[in-house]
Amino acid sequence: MSIEVKNLTKKFNKKTVIKDISFKVNSGEILAIVGFSGSGKSTVLKLICGLIEKDSGIIKTSGDIAMVFQYSALIDSLNVEDNIAFALKERKDLRKKYTNEEIKQIVKEKLNLVGLSGIENKFPSELSGGMQKRVSFARAIVTSPNIILYDEPTAGLDPVSSTLIEDYIVRLKEETNAASIVVTHQMSTIMRTADKIIMLYNGDVVFTGTPQDLMKQDTPYTKQFVTASLDGPMKMLQG
Amino acid sequence: MRDFSLKSTITYKLYRQLIILFDDFLSTIGDTVIYGKDVLKFIFKRDFNMPALLEQCSRFGVSSLPITLSIVGMTAIIVSMQVAGEMVKQGAGNYVGMLVAILIIREAGIIMSGFAIISMIGSSIASEIATMRVTEQIDAIQVLKVNPIRYLFVPRVLSGTLMMPPVLVIASLVGIIGGGVAAHLASGLSYRAYFESVWSGIYMKDMNVALLKAIVFGFTIALISCVCGYNANGGARGVGIATTKAVVWSFVAIVLWDLVFSIIFFF
Ligand SMILES: Nc1ncnc2c1ncn2[C@@H]1O[C@H](COP(=O)(O)OP(=O)(O)OP(=O)(O)O)[C@@H](O)[C@H]1O
Ligand SMILES: [Mg+2]
Repeated sequence: MSIEVKNLTKKFNKKTVIKDISFKVNSGEILAIVGFSGSGKSTVLKLICGLIEKDSGIIKTSGDIAMVFQYSALIDSLNVEDNIAFALKERKDLRKKYTNEEIKQIVKEKLNLVGLSGIENKFPSELSGGMQKRVSFARAIVTSPNIILYDEPTAGLDPVSSTLIEDYIVRLKEETNAASIVVTHQMSTIMRTADKIIMLYNGDVVFTGTPQDLMKQDTPYTKQFVTASLDGPMKMLQG
Repeated sequence: MRDFSLKSTITYKLYRQLIILFDDFLSTIGDTVIYGKDVLKFIFKRDFNMPALLEQCSRFGVSSLPITLSIVGMTAIIVSMQVAGEMVKQGAGNYVGMLVAILIIREAGIIMSGFAIISMIGSSIASEIATMRVTEQIDAIQVLKVNPIRYLFVPRVLSGTLMMPPVLVIASLVGIIGGGVAAHLASGLSYRAYFESVWSGIYMKDMNVALLKAIVFGFTIALISCVCGYNANGGARGVGIATTKAVVWSFVAIVLWDLVFSIIFFF
């Protein structure tokens, strides 16, 4: 139940998006990946869960991987219940494991966890962005995975829903001893969930440390990130 | 200054365009064969989701029927209207029914149904799956360790294969009846004369070939549409491109199949 990434490199049409990065996440640990838009955070997650092929390097994972997508990625022809129960109903090794009643119960439980109940029969298009995000959170954790990748789980949520999700990310880690990676821009999410942080810029790791290290702002990168300043080593526009 | 180099000539550009098109067709066919094998594996193992199959069947068969019937029916009516008068004048009125039956059963029924199904069902399958691709729904399915071929392709392709023959039979029947009505109204041919001669235009072999074609066409259209949608990339524009590809390559594929069938069975 851990993730180990060594010298990972990925190019898209000759442009190197991930440059030789390495890190490790043990079970029971949460790594936050931060960095400006386009720095390659989502790409790292997609490489880890095998959605895109790496060019070189090593990715070692042990256990069942789940992912909360940046834009929810709910299946829009299925209602909330079927979305959350998707793996339980369609996955080969789980398909016949639960009765319909049990599945209904599990879905209800997970919906309660993310602070939404009674929306089982709604379709994704009938939900707000934040609600979709929380449903996709519920869908990801329904199989009790031991590696969980969160791509901006709290983006677009109101502060209270954010706190709810942040608390749950931590609780899930404590209960299941999962290894988690949280990609986020949000200071609150970093401070509340992360055990350690890496900052990506242009595909390079420019900072590694704890949330406390980040707050010290003793490198140009951390200073610029925490103060959200335009001045600093990181430029927003890169071709 | 004008550019007189080879690369600026229209011929060159046309050739280039053709090569790109041909290349795209071949890669689509290649993918279709690869995914087709997987789909067949699931079908032969009877490993598919029954409710999903029934839903797709009703979409394929029932919702496409009005358009398919209109197109095949109109073809028969138009042909019958145009030839009946002439044939009655020449004393060949007794052959109108036969002519329409042969035309519909051998060729027009299946090819027109195929076109109707492509434009209604093929395009909607392709745009649906392409949208799922560009909004990362297919990625989500993969991360949840559900096989997207089993979940998305199998019910659609199997329903195409199963529903195309009944759609063809109903459309052909309507076409032949419509042709009779048209001949009667246009040139006063009696229904009796028409339908008696229909019998002499119906051959067992033609019907078997037609049903076989229907199975093959239904499979091909649904599969190519799935593949084109599945390979989509890049936002709304990607969905549009995928849909166009699905329609165009399905047309080309069924016309090629038709040629193959003609060579095998009527050459
Ligand atoms: N499929 C792709 N094809 C080509 N380039 C891509 C692809 N996916 C990502 N990229 C490029 O890789 C870089 C990193 O993208 P990525 O989505 O990982 O960024 P991110 O850090 O998640 O940004 P954001 O915070 O905006 O979500 C970007 O420059 C992007 O243009
Ligand atoms: Mg991202």
